Amino acid sequence: MKKQLIAAGAAAALFALTACGSSNYEATPVPTKPVPVETPPAPGTLPLKCDNALASYAPDGPLPAPGQFPAGSYMAQIKQRGRLIAGVSADSLHLGSRNPISGDIEGFDIDMVKAVAQALGVELELRVISSPQRLPVLIDGSVDIVARNMTINCDRWSQIAFSAEYYRSGQKSLVPLSSNAKSLNDLPPGTAICTPTGSTSYTNLRKNFRLLKAVTADTDGGCLVLFQQGKVFGISGDDTVLAGDAAQDPYARVIKGERFSDEPYGLGMSKKHPEFVQFVNGVLEQIKADGRWKASYNKWFAADLGPAPAPPKPVYGRVPE
Amino acid sequence: MTQTTSAPPVIWSPPPPPSVATAPAGTPRRSRPSGAIQAWFAGTPGRMRLVLILSAAMAVLFGLAAAQGFRESDGALKRAEANTAQLVRIQGIHTNLVSANADATNAFLVGGLEPPAQRQHFVDSMAQASKLITEAATAQPADQAALGQLNTTLLTYQGLVEQARANNRQGLPIGSQYLKDASASLQEDSLPLLDALVKANESRVGTEFDGIGNGSYWLIIGGLVTLLVLAYALWWLAKRTHRYLNLPIAAAAALVLLTMVVGGAALSSAGSKAKDTRGHAYADTLALSRARIAAYDAKSNESLTLIARGSGEAFQTAWTKSAAEVDKQLAIVAATSPAVQTPWTQYKAIHATIRDLDAKQGKWGDAVARSVGTNTGTDAGTIFGDFDEASAASLGATSTKVSTELSDARHGLPPIGWLGLPIGIVAALLVAWGMSQRLGEYR
Repeated sequence: MKKQLIAAGAAAALFALTACGSSNYEATPVPTKPVPVETPPAPGTLPLKCDNALASYAPDGPLPAPGQFPAGSYMAQIKQRGRLIAGVSADSLHLGSRNPISGDIEGFDIDMVKAVAQALGVELELRVISSPQRLPVLIDGSVDIVARNMTINCDRWSQIAFSAEYYRSGQKSLVPLSSNAKSLNDLPPGTAICTPTGSTSYTNLRKNFRLLKAVTADTDGGCLVLFQQGKVFGISGDDTVLAGDAAQDPYARVIKGERFSDEPYGLGMSKKHPEFVQFVNGVLEQIKADGRWKASYNKWFAADLGPAPAPPKPVYGRVPE
Repeated sequence: MTQTTSAPPVIWSPPPPPSVATAPAGTPRRSRPSGAIQAWFAGTPGRMRLVLILSAAMAVLFGLAAAQGFRESDGALKRAEANTAQLVRIQGIHTNLVSANADATNAFLVGGLEPPAQRQHFVDSMAQASKLITEAATAQPADQAALGQLNTTLLTYQGLVEQARANNRQGLPIGSQYLKDASASLQEDSLPLLDALVKANESRVGTEFDGIGNGSYWLIIGGLVTLLVLAYALWWLAKRTHRYLNLPIAAAAALVLLTMVVGGAALSSAGSKAKDTRGHAYADTLALSRARIAAYDAKSNESLTLIARGSGEAFQTAWTKSAAEVDKQLAIVAATSPAVQTPWTQYKAIHATIRDLDAKQGKWGDAVARSVGTNTGTDAGTIFGDFDEASAASLGATSTKVSTELSDARHGLPPIGWLGLPIGIVAALLVAWGMSQRLGEYR
């Protein structure tokens, strides 16, 4: 009896000894993902008011030929550099998007800066920027011009300069094909709708449809992906962008009747070079007059938005500060 | 034994008195067994028995301690080898994923369909990664939860990549957004898991390398205590019996000393071999793995910088950081893997050209051509391929070396792990034999 006890005790002790230092490791900790804190968008400062946001700087006489820019002007600088640097979108179909087959970035916005580069007699370098980058890249001078479906408004005029209006867009909404909604007001409160970060579309959505949940993505493409993944119910944005989205997704439709804002597009430039803004306005006048504007419109938008209307009339009268 | 046979005759030798009388006499005897034990340990023979039990038990304990020490060192060597293999596996997963992602991000850069070879490389890398994940989950149960999580994130990643391809195939620009999301999911969800896995396995390897020497503590401490006890037994016997040396007990002590010396030498030699491996082959393996991961990361960032077309400064900063890490790690293996240095230096030079073309000269198209082109010796793609091959070969060699060296060190150990207990028992029997000679004289 006693011997058995001793044997059992010895065996137990032996097991205990060999057990220590064996391969019982703690499980590898799985890193926890930081949960993005949802900051409720600030109710916002009231948009700046100004008399006429559309007013730009009037061109100074006829368009100078390449090589005859006044010394010290920004055009002369660009000419010397040999290329115009433009900030554009690469995922807004028909405005500025990368053609997957050729790899080239093309669209209506791109045609505008192409015309500017041509008038300057320089190469065109395209830099892809996201929606919230539009103002910062102009302020820090890393691009000369931004052509990225940017709405002219007083708020932005306080930081950058705009060309005269080159396209009149309006905000509409895109919903699934199966939805019967005739307006965003038909959607139940809390429905998630995507708009690009830092865009006027976002401000308008918040202003007009307070009960909907506004979700943002960095680019127009980002919104379409969220829509296709079912993470948002619909997208709100410029009719041009939405037409491009709908063209890529047969299960989406744009709500036809509801257009709840005017979005006049302008080319963005730095406030430091009013002479360049004047020059660009001259170029826009030229292409509106000689039919290039119309040709480009028909090429990119006719299929979705109908044949080209008359180009928007330029408004001038602003005096460089 | 001697007690039970000799004691009863003493008690029962008187002629049988009436049974009433025997009962009171017998009862106290049986009710106080401690009295018998005291009697057994009484006087000089009793002390001898005590010393005998103590020494014999100590000898057996020494055997157990020696076995335990060897088993511990042997186990630590085995585990260091296994954990190194696991670490190499995890880093292999990491390399395959960043390499696959470099392929995927390159698909952004060039128009049209991706080249079949590039697609094949992507598929192979993903297949290899998923094979390694299964192997790693089998090899280390502690990694299973993290690897399972990793598998989930890769399903998402691969789903997004395929969706991007499907859209691209239809000529829809939205494909590039899916690709961007795929890359982001890999960066934000998968790579942190791999970092955690690498960290956990590196610390396990470190623990096991540290533990290889611990086996000798059992052996040395067990041996010294046993020798002290045996020496005391010899001294005590010599004093009591006026005989200088009890040969069997001395033999037991010699056996313990021998085991201690031979075992200790073997363990310390294995320990120093392991230390050598840790300082050289293992350090090289770590450095090469880290260099490869950082290099692929740099290559991905080169593509991302180009994809961003001018607004990719953050990616270029990331490139610089990764490239500095590669330089640092390659410096460690400069002597042992010289073949890796040249292609890396060449790649860095080409990268500088690419940045110059893109950022300074505004020739984005030329920069892309140099980045993804396949001209031998002038394009980043091929030079990087050279680096990949050279570093993979060196990594294979060093990681094999680690495993060979560690298993050699392990196989060089004398079989004290299972001989320990028999040695202890033999020593205990010798002690018992030696003591029983003296005990016999008191019978």
